[in-house]
Amino acid sequence: MAAAGAGKVAKAAGAAVKPIFSRDLGEAKRRVRELYRAWYREVPNAVQLYQLDISVKQGRDKVREMFMRNAHVTDPRVIDILVIKGKMELQETARVWKQRTHIMRFFHETETPRPKDFLSKFYVGHDP
Amino acid sequence: MAGALKKTTGLVGLAVAETPHEHLRILYTKILAALQDIPKDAAYRKYTEQIVNERFNMVKTEPNVEKLEDKMKSGQIEEVIIQAESELSLARKMVQWKPWEPLVEEPPTDQWRWPI
Amino acid sequence: MLAAALGLARAGLRAAARPAVLLQQARFEGSSTTETHPTVRPKDEVAQNQLCAFGEYVAEILPKYIQQVQVTCFNELEIFIHPDGVVPILTFLRDHTNAQFKSLADLTAIDVPTRQYRFEIVYNLLSLRFNSRIRVKTYTDELTPVDSAVSVHQAANWYEREVWDMYGVFFANHPDLRRILTDYGFEGHPFRKDFPLSGYVEVRYDDEVKRVVAEPVELAQEFRKFDLNSPWETFPAYRTAPETLKLEAGDKKGDAK
Repeated sequence: MAAAGAGKVAKAAGAAVKPIFSRDLGEAKRRVRELYRAWYREVPNAVQLYQLDISVKQGRDKVREMFMRNAHVTDPRVIDILVIKGKMELQETARVWKQRTHIMRFFHETETPRPKDFLSKFYVGHDP
Repeated sequence: MAGALKKTTGLVGLAVAETPHEHLRILYTKILAALQDIPKDAAYRKYTEQIVNERFNMVKTEPNVEKLEDKMKSGQIEEVIIQAESELSLARKMVQWKPWEPLVEEPPTDQWRWPI
Repeated sequence: MLAAALGLARAGLRAAARPAVLLQQARFEGSSTTETHPTVRPKDEVAQNQLCAFGEYVAEILPKYIQQVQVTCFNELEIFIHPDGVVPILTFLRDHTNAQFKSLADLTAIDVPTRQYRFEIVYNLLSLRFNSRIRVKTYTDELTPVDSAVSVHQAANWYEREVWDMYGVFFANHPDLRRILTDYGFEGHPFRKDFPLSGYVEVRYDDEVKRVVAEPVELAQEFRKFDLNSPWETFPAYRTAPETLKLEAGDKKGDAK
């Protein structure tokens, strides 16, 4: 569930490298937008199918967050690979091959945040 | 077919050929025609023409199917037909691929070195 | 059975009759005689020459894609090809009358991170007609797609899904490329050399949310240090220097007894 967003300047995809799908950054971005749209439409379905305890708004925010996580990627080939993985993820979600646990893994509900400062590290004890 | 009528090839999905000579003659003619599009000095054309001509001559000279199979030493006549069919499709694809050209790209220097 | 027992009895008698020193010497002599059945694989000249000839034949026909041909010491023919040539080479080997490698026995990959193209893709083919095998190798990296071999060999379908799942090599024109071994939602490609042995997440059942949850892997202190030395070595201070482990060539085999 990862894809890329806007970047600065495309690293000139020379003729030396073999493109996966997109020849330039614009085409790659178009694919990202298509994928984002598909995910956006899929969220209400998924919430209903998997009977998730989240609102549609929360789901869409999560989708947006996952996309924005890769916003710094500018290489069209990397974007293509990420879009491919996102499409596979979408297929697994839409056809209910996943279970509720797999979807909810995106939300990290049970994880305790890692200790940052010295004292809390000390209280946790075993973790450096 | 000459002699006793063959009932089965003993291989799943492979029916007995009714007129193997005719079938092979058509296929070999087509292969030779397809090879005409390949340059004369290409190794693929040279070797394939050699194989096909050799077998074509056997087909022309030997009317008995069983003796023909023994001569060809390549299994039953139905299998020979399959081989000719795949050779024909290969020859047609080869014309597009042009594999007789020089190497497209040298590998990086340490690509095939093992152990590294 | 009876004869064996008799033989044993005779040997025991003979051993009893001799002094212990002599017995040891006899043993030593017995194992140092030249072996009539050596454990190394015998060299098969005929098969090797045939493979060499076939390798040259293939290389002569397809010079555009074949970079190198070699026959290993175990009589395996290997051809190294450019990634563009996967479909032409496999089709040629399948359809040519002198090759007929109709069966794709295996398809896998190797990860060598130091190379420019870090993944090697390996195709093992079998010719039932000529009872021979051939190995085709090509290379790629994380971002370069390789042409899918499914149009040539149907068997490649799941193998390529496996390679995609385990190494992250993308196969262009694959009919149904998706994960095959890892769990849904799994991230990363486990067979890459830079994938940690412990993985990134661990799963457990959580009673509060009533489902299985995945959390970042957190190793207890005693499992976090990986010692790559021998697990049997309890007293490293008394370790013998590794030079003494060197085997002398051939003439001291008797010491093994």
